[in-house]
Amino acid sequence: MPNQPLLTGEAIYRLIPQRPPIVMVDTFFSADETDAETGLHIHADNIFCQADTLQEPGLIEHVAQSAAAFAGYAPYTRGEAPKLGFIGEVKKFKIVRLPHCGEFLHTHLHVMGEAGGVTLIAAEVQVEGETLATCQMKIFIQEGE
Amino acid sequence: MEKNELIEKINEVLAEEFEIEVSDITPEGDIKDTLQLDSLSLVDMVALIESEFGVKIKGTEVGQIKNFAALYDFVYSNQK
Repeated sequence: MPNQPLLTGEAIYRLIPQRPPIVMVDTFFSADETDAETGLHIHADNIFCQADTLQEPGLIEHVAQSAAAFAGYAPYTRGEAPKLGFIGEVKKFKIVRLPHCGEFLHTHLHVMGEAGGVTLIAAEVQVEGETLATCQMKIFIQEGE
Repeated sequence: MEKNELIEKINEVLAEEFEIEVSDITPEGDIKDTLQLDSLSLVDMVALIESEFGVKIKGTEVGQIKNFAALYDFVYSNQK
């Protein structure tokens, strides 16, 4: 894990359009052309938590927002507003176990390919090195207005 | 990898991924039609080629690769 995150807390709002209570990324560790790392502290008041556990939709939303933050980081460094993005497909979603409140999700994203404006991203969600979930997600980024 | 061997391997992995018969693939065949690719699934082929052969097809290049012969040539000339 990189020592110093690039962005944390409300600074993440510069990368994603979501706002509380549905913000599911609170740490942005790193990004380059093909890879990025994000994180999320799971608090008990998270709207996707039930019985002290983050539910599946919360995990999917975390990965989706991580991908959105990844896509938004390059425009952010150029002083531009984040572009609107859409999830085209979620596939090969495998959950080993659901995370509990109080745990910190550390997520690695890797761009597997791009074509026709669609980016295929592989994601791996970990807690302290333990893999909790993996998936692939297709993201369509809308260019221009 | 020699070209004939490469062609055989490309056909094999594409047929498996997109659930078609290897015999459905011909050099002149249109890739999108043969593999039944739409705007969302085209990226699956790009990712598969990169993961299996280490050859990255850029967004600007993928539109120029219309048939399998063009794909074979591209992968063969860009393989490491």
